[in-house]
Amino acid sequence: MPRTSVKIVGASGQGINSIGAIIAKGLKRSGYGVFGYREYPSLIKGGHASYQIDVSNERVRSSETIVDVLVALDHHGLELNMEDLKESGILVHVTPGWHFPNHHQELIEQRALRVVHVPVSDVLSRLNAKPIRSNTLLSAFVWSMFGQDVEALKALVAERFATKKALLELNMRCIDEGYSLVDHREGKLSVALPPPDRRFSSDLLVTGSQAMGLGAIHAGVRLYAGYPITPSSPLLEFIADRQNETHMVVKQAEDEITAAQLVSGAMYMGTRALTATAGVGFDLMSETLSLNAMVENPIVLVLAQRPGPATGLPTWTAQGNLFQATTSSHGEFAHCVLAVSDGQDAFDLMPLAFNLAEEYQLPVIVLTEKQIAEALYTQAPYDLDKAEIRRGRLVTDPEELKVLNSSDRYDPLAATGVSSRWLPGSDAATYCAQADEHDATGTVDETSGNAKAQVDKRMRKLQSLTAALPEPRVTVTAHGKSLADGTDEDDALELLLVGWGSSRSVIEDVLRSDSLRSRRIGYLHYTYLWPLRTQRLEAVAARAKRLVLVEQNCQGQLGMLIRMQCGLEIPDTILKYDGRPFFYDELLAQVEERVSAWPDAASTSGNDESSRALRPGGVS
Amino acid sequence: MSKSRESAALRLAEYHSQTKCTWCDGCGDYGIWTAVRYALVELNLRPSQVCLCYDVGCHGNGSDKIQGYRFHGLHGRVIPFAAGAKLANMKLPVIAFGGDGATFSEGVGHLVHGLRSNYPITFVLHNNANYGLTTGQATSLTWQDQPMNTSPNGVPERTLASMDLIFSLEPTFVARGFSGDIKLMTRILKEAIQHRGFAFVDMLQACPTYNHFATHKYLLERYFDANANGHDPGDLQQAKALACGSQDRIACGILYQREDIADFYERLDPRRGLKTTCAEEVRKYDVSEYLQELM
Repeated sequence: MPRTSVKIVGASGQGINSIGAIIAKGLKRSGYGVFGYREYPSLIKGGHASYQIDVSNERVRSSETIVDVLVALDHHGLELNMEDLKESGILVHVTPGWHFPNHHQELIEQRALRVVHVPVSDVLSRLNAKPIRSNTLLSAFVWSMFGQDVEALKALVAERFATKKALLELNMRCIDEGYSLVDHREGKLSVALPPPDRRFSSDLLVTGSQAMGLGAIHAGVRLYAGYPITPSSPLLEFIADRQNETHMVVKQAEDEITAAQLVSGAMYMGTRALTATAGVGFDLMSETLSLNAMVENPIVLVLAQRPGPATGLPTWTAQGNLFQATTSSHGEFAHCVLAVSDGQDAFDLMPLAFNLAEEYQLPVIVLTEKQIAEALYTQAPYDLDKAEIRRGRLVTDPEELKVLNSSDRYDPLAATGVSSRWLPGSDAATYCAQADEHDATGTVDETSGNAKAQVDKRMRKLQSLTAALPEPRVTVTAHGKSLADGTDEDDALELLLVGWGSSRSVIEDVLRSDSLRSRRIGYLHYTYLWPLRTQRLEAVAARAKRLVLVEQNCQGQLGMLIRMQCGLEIPDTILKYDGRPFFYDELLAQVEERVSAWPDAASTSGNDESSRALRPGGVS
Repeated sequence: MSKSRESAALRLAEYHSQTKCTWCDGCGDYGIWTAVRYALVELNLRPSQVCLCYDVGCHGNGSDKIQGYRFHGLHGRVIPFAAGAKLANMKLPVIAFGGDGATFSEGVGHLVHGLRSNYPITFVLHNNANYGLTTGQATSLTWQDQPMNTSPNGVPERTLASMDLIFSLEPTFVARGFSGDIKLMTRILKEAIQHRGFAFVDMLQACPTYNHFATHKYLLERYFDANANGHDPGDLQQAKALACGSQDRIACGILYQREDIADFYERLDPRRGLKTTCAEEVRKYDVSEYLQELM
């Protein structure tokens, strides 16, 4: 896959994101797959931030650690990001009279970097434009380096200023200036892009938060309550910004406990309601999680991960809250944990999460990550017919309501553990959604026989849910072609990667690389993390020469869950927990290292016991 | 027996639960429980037409001693749960019950924001000035210096001035009842349930087992119906004075009420003019109109 990358760096609040957004959208419309990645500190203004766009004529969903073009909006970028440039990369900066220190002079020579100073202040003062217009100017300069049509950029920028004629004209002049700017030393610079693929031009550009918000609206969410926290705030903002069109009830709650309780009350009353938070806010929600399990109230909570413990790295990414999602809150109860991985399933899983919550009358936690929440995906248009609204054993028919007894609500004999549910206000026998241990009607009942029967009833849902959840998805490099879904039963794999969440995008990009696509490598991806199904994992693992666990946490939490569920041990791990996502080149090197011991796919067999996954007790 | 009284008795029976009451002899919960059923019947509400949400405490043990769509949740959290339920179905009256421990300690933030948000719900405070269910510890409404379980030398903290707090939050409905006067409580509850916004109802109640200071007798001797004495609930200054000054005589009745303030739901622009409730709107929504800006 041909890849090109550009990174814009500077102070938070300088307009890094708007340059990134213009270039990403422009290139996407021209027929390129783009992937946007943001890094920023927990500050409103100042502090060093970046927006990186990786570009290809294939679908690209990962970032490289080093880039072809670096645009530095301030001198801190020159000091901090010079090392991020590739061999013969281009540095675009705006700092007049900057003297590179010796080690950077050497770097420029060693890597044959090309350095361009764009005299932004001069040009803008000549145009009588404010400093913020440097965004347009620099976007046009980059646009010209990419050899793209200036009219396409003008059309894009014109959409933003359609109602402001004077500003529109000024922006057009900035584009002309930036586009025609030629550095007197370096001459006309160009960055070669592969031929475009027109199918991308009709794609969407979405962040994971936008995808999730769209999925929530699509799923019939009618009430959203949330408390601001990174990285779940963009979802709250997306939902709040559209409330006049969706007619949704949106409540910024006084804390996460309130948000979770508001949503619980709304779900009890029969609507679909959503809240999202980060791990530290989820701690506050955890008592409500257990409450809903007890009263068998469907609820969906989004847990957007960032590195902890405590406040941790608030604006960075992690997969450190898998245990929190699977084991937090008191008592034993059935619940379900899903994890989104990109702009596609962030949309698809929202209706599914609500369906599962209502079908099994239990809490569903949807994990996302800062990386997914804020990354920009080139996304094929969503299939708007696919989703169903399934509400399980919800009784709404007036005739059926009439024959219900109070004791139908928590009937301990319900075969799957799921009993009839009907909504307050229904013309029917009433019941109590009782957080104390209760009998079939919701009356408090502390007797031994009842306690056991009700625990058994609720826990039975875990069995029926496990059987209903899909097994993990396996993709395999298909002899030099693109990745294939699934794997043949007798197919031996050189390597099987196991992971979840945002790692999938990077792993699948890595498996499409020229060096790996001809190998036999599989990736097993967990979307449904609790209850955890392991049959397919065990079957595929048995045919793999080597297993590697890939996670963005320190302990290998999925690996620990797998071991707990089926005893399979994955000793080889690629773990990252520095707040950064996996980068393409970094992960590629780690995977290459693991397959380089084997000459090629044809000469390997899957029966080498010595490198197989270890199992306690020697069972294999 | 007249026909209307007969049918009222029948409707009262609809609220009857087989579950035996477990409150102590002389507990104020009996009176409040009775007044709630009277108020609902007199408002012509059947059990299937109300949502009753209970916090944790002795009062919460009443959740299975009445009919209706009920919820009995976690300590301190009843207000946001009830608010969420109401916002999802504005057609159903939602009444939340909580004790003074839950409301002024564990869940005091919810009370503050419930009043501030002016959610269209009724909140009934079971105020017996102690944690009864956990066997008589001090709440923030227990009198300072009063010896209680876990504070044998007397409560060191100052007593929280609950009505000063309530009035600082610009309430739209404040009433006070006494568990010994069912008729008064019934009148208050009927008005509270019909109130436009957040109705705060402070029910002073006896706790014969653990409250040995503000006893049934103490309350009985001091309480009076301020409305019967000519108090106008529209008079904010007088309402505050009556509510906050309860040393010698305890003013009960509807102390403050205004119906000209929009509730939280009415203030939501996106809901204006809609006839349906959120609960009725669950279906698949077409999101294509939101995709254009993302192209």
